[in-house]
Amino acid sequence: MNILITGVSRGVGIEICTVLLEQGNNIYGIARTHTDEFKNLEYNYKGKIHFKSFDLSDGDNVNEEVFKDFIGKNPIHGFVNNAATAYDDIISNLNLDRLKNMYNVNVFTPMMLTKYVLRNMLLYKVKGSIVHISSISVHTGYKGLAMYASSKGALEAFSKNTAREWGQLGIRSNIVVPGFMETAMSSTLSEEQKDRIYKRTSLKTVTSIRSVAETVAFLLSDKAESITGQNIHVDNGTI
Amino acid sequence: MEEKVLEIINQIRKNNNLDGLSNLNKTDNLRDDLGFTSFDLAELTVKIEDIFNIDIFEDGLVNTVGEIFQKLS
Repeated sequence: MNILITGVSRGVGIEICTVLLEQGNNIYGIARTHTDEFKNLEYNYKGKIHFKSFDLSDGDNVNEEVFKDFIGKNPIHGFVNNAATAYDDIISNLNLDRLKNMYNVNVFTPMMLTKYVLRNMLLYKVKGSIVHISSISVHTGYKGLAMYASSKGALEAFSKNTAREWGQLGIRSNIVVPGFMETAMSSTLSEEQKDRIYKRTSLKTVTSIRSVAETVAFLLSDKAESITGQNIHVDNGTI
Repeated sequence: MEEKVLEIINQIRKNNNLDGLSNLNKTDNLRDDLGFTSFDLAELTVKIEDIFNIDIFEDGLVNTVGEIFQKLS
């Protein structure tokens, strides 16, 4: 399968690429920076992995740059919307420019990417699978994450409606809701803050990045052919 | 160009078990006369874009065959 993935510079994105490559898929990866971790995958999986440098704050050039130049006349069987930027602050400090920038990256450009992914699937008659990466903050609430969580909540609603709208063509859309992982995005948290977060989970520990990536790969595969419009929590049982 | 558009329209009509058309009239309404649903129109759009590199739906809805010809000419 040809899989388009955003946010492949590090963390969860790299792990999803790794799992999908191990399963024999072709990767079309997008990120701002071409990191050594991604280059390492390119070295190990020559010809199966492609990279495009693209800034997701630019929603205007999605068709030209991502689809016409990068993907070309290849069918896309799966799309993983993984890239995101965090904007953490309490609501009384909300800055509109920073909020708009975050929505461009987390919501508006992913919606444009979905538009052209669906068009690609329509053209090549592919019963494809779309997976958005959300956040447990949508469901539990954390101090300082209201703006970020709102952008992920928008994706959850978008996915549910994508599933309903495109289901008759066999196209599926699901959400993976990870708990807190050890990634660059959570690196600003203190150990004490992290411990407090982990105590709110049934398994009392950090969420495994590998488990998140394996769940994404499962939802993309035919094994999940009857699953659509769902939010799958991979969060150690967050309460 | 008009023959190619007719070919694409007939492909989509065939998928919907509708008879092929021998010619198109500029006044033909895509929904009312050709029986296209919103998904058929989406398929028409992507097939036309694939061949002509023009997104006929980019600046709003297209209603008639003549409007498609206009965008492609």
